[in-house]
Amino acid sequence: MTKIEKHHFQAGMLTKDGFVGSDSRSIEEIIRADQQLLSQIHFENTAVADRLQRFIDEGKNRLEDCVRLGNQTIRVQWDRGMLPCPFAEPGLHPKITVTVRSERTGKEIRYSQLSVHLVRRHGFFGGKGSRFRLEPEELVKLFKEDQP
Amino acid sequence: MLKKPETANVPFSSNISGSIFMSNTVTLIVDEKFRFDVPTKVSLLSVLNEKKIYLPSICGGRGICGKCRCRVLEGGDALKAAEMKRLSQEDILSQVRLACQVQIEQGLQIQIPEGILQLTEYESQLTLLKTLTHDIKLLRLKLLNPPQIHFKPGQFVQLKSQPYENVHASVMRSYSIASSASSADHIDLMVRLVPEGICSTWVHEHLRAGDRVAFVGPNGDFFVRDGHEDVVLVAGGSGMAPMVSILYELSQKTPDRKVDFFFGACKEKDLFFLDEMDAFGKQMSRFRFRPVLSQPENVDACETEMGLVTETLNAYLRTVSTGKLHLYLCGSPGMIQNGKSVASRNGVPAENIFHDSFS
Repeated sequence: MTKIEKHHFQAGMLTKDGFVGSDSRSIEEIIRADQQLLSQIHFENTAVADRLQRFIDEGKNRLEDCVRLGNQTIRVQWDRGMLPCPFAEPGLHPKITVTVRSERTGKEIRYSQLSVHLVRRHGFFGGKGSRFRLEPEELVKLFKEDQP
Repeated sequence: MLKKPETANVPFSSNISGSIFMSNTVTLIVDEKFRFDVPTKVSLLSVLNEKKIYLPSICGGRGICGKCRCRVLEGGDALKAAEMKRLSQEDILSQVRLACQVQIEQGLQIQIPEGILQLTEYESQLTLLKTLTHDIKLLRLKLLNPPQIHFKPGQFVQLKSQPYENVHASVMRSYSIASSASSADHIDLMVRLVPEGICSTWVHEHLRAGDRVAFVGPNGDFFVRDGHEDVVLVAGGSGMAPMVSILYELSQKTPDRKVDFFFGACKEKDLFFLDEMDAFGKQMSRFRFRPVLSQPENVDACETEMGLVTETLNAYLRTVSTGKLHLYLCGSPGMIQNGKSVASRNGVPAENIFHDSFS
C-alpha cells in the first residue's frame, strides 16, 4: 500500500477545509472504522461509489439544473479546473459538486466527484466534521429510499 | 509581449555544472536563452516560480497533479517515485520531468512548454468588488506594475491568492478577462465561488477594495477571430466574462457583424449584466442577447426563452446557415461538451468552434 501523506489531507493543501475536518484519528483509522460500518450494513465501496456516481451522471445531463430522480432531487455544480487525489494516486478529478436532497425526509448530502473516487479506490468517506464527509449509514438510507 | 524581467549575470559555459564547485549556486539555463544563478537543494519548480516562470501546478508542488512538466536536458537528478507514476515511457525517453520533483544539485539545462515565457506577472490594486449574483463577484484590478496589459479578448489570467485562515500558501487559478482590450490600465474578472475552492473563497470572503493583487498572464487560445462571419456566443454563469470582452471588441471593430448571445441560467436571479447587454445592443444593430432560463420562478410571466441553453442553441442552429458561423463557448465543462456536440450535429465546422482550454 502506498504511504499516506497526511498533510495532503489537511486544510488549505488541496482544498480549503481539507478532508479530515475535526477528526483526530489517522487516515487509516478513519478508513478502518468506516469499512467496519459498511460491512455491518452489507454494502461495499464499489456499490456506494456506483450509486453516488449515478447521481452525478443524472445531474450532469441537465447541466446545473435541478433534476428529480425518484424520491431525490439532484443538483450538480461543475466548475472549471481539476483536483488531484490526496492519496497521491495519478489522475485529476473534475470540480463537480453534487447535492442530493431526499424529498421524503428533507435531508441533504453533498459530495464531489473526488469523493466518489476516494470511496471507490480508497474506502475513504472523509473525516468527521469535514465538508464532504459521507456517513455510510445515511448514504444507505438514502439509497434505499430509491427502491420500490 | 514583455519578456522575463530578471536574468542573472552568469557567464554561459557549455559545462554548466562547473559552477557548483565554486559556490552553492549553479547555473540554470532555460530554453537555451535565459541563464539564472540558482541555489542548490531546492526544487526546480520553486526556483522557476521565484524567477517568475510559472509552470502550471494544481497541487502546489507536491508531485500529485503531474502538471509542472518540462524537459530536463542536462543535469537532472534521478527520477522520483511520483514521476514514475505520472510520466509515460515516452515522456521519460523525451527527458520530461515534473519540475516539483527535480531537486537542483548541479547546473541544469531545461526546456519549458511553449508560451510560458511570454507570461508576465502583474501587480495590481483592487478598485471594485461587486456582487453580480449570489455566487459571482466582479473584480476590477487597476494595474500598478507593469502599468498596462495587452491581451486578446477572450484570454484569461491566473490570479494569485494570498494565505488566509488555514490556507498557508498561495495558489493560482485561471479567470477570463471581462473587460475591453482597449482599456489597458485595468482588467475585470468574474469569480464564481467554488465549494471548497481556495482561490474563489479568498476572493469572496477575504479580498477587500484597495488590496494589492498579483496575477500572471495573459494566456489562452480562446479569443475572438477577426472577420465578418456571423457569431454565436454561448455562456453560463461566470462564463459571461470572456463574452463581455469579446463583445467590447466586436462593438468597437465590427459593429455590423451579426451576433447572437445565448446565456444560460437557472432562475431570473442568476441573470446579470443586463444593462451592459442593452448597451451593446445600442452599439451593434445586429446583436441579440438571448437569456435562457431552465427554471424560471414564474413560467407564465417568463419573458426569456426557457429550457437548457444548449437546447435553445440547437433550435437556433437548425434555422440558420452554419457552414461559416463562428461559435464561442464558455461556462461549465458540461455545457461546453453539450454545446460542442450540438454545434457539430448542426454542421458547424470543428475549426469554427472555440472554447477555453482551462476546463
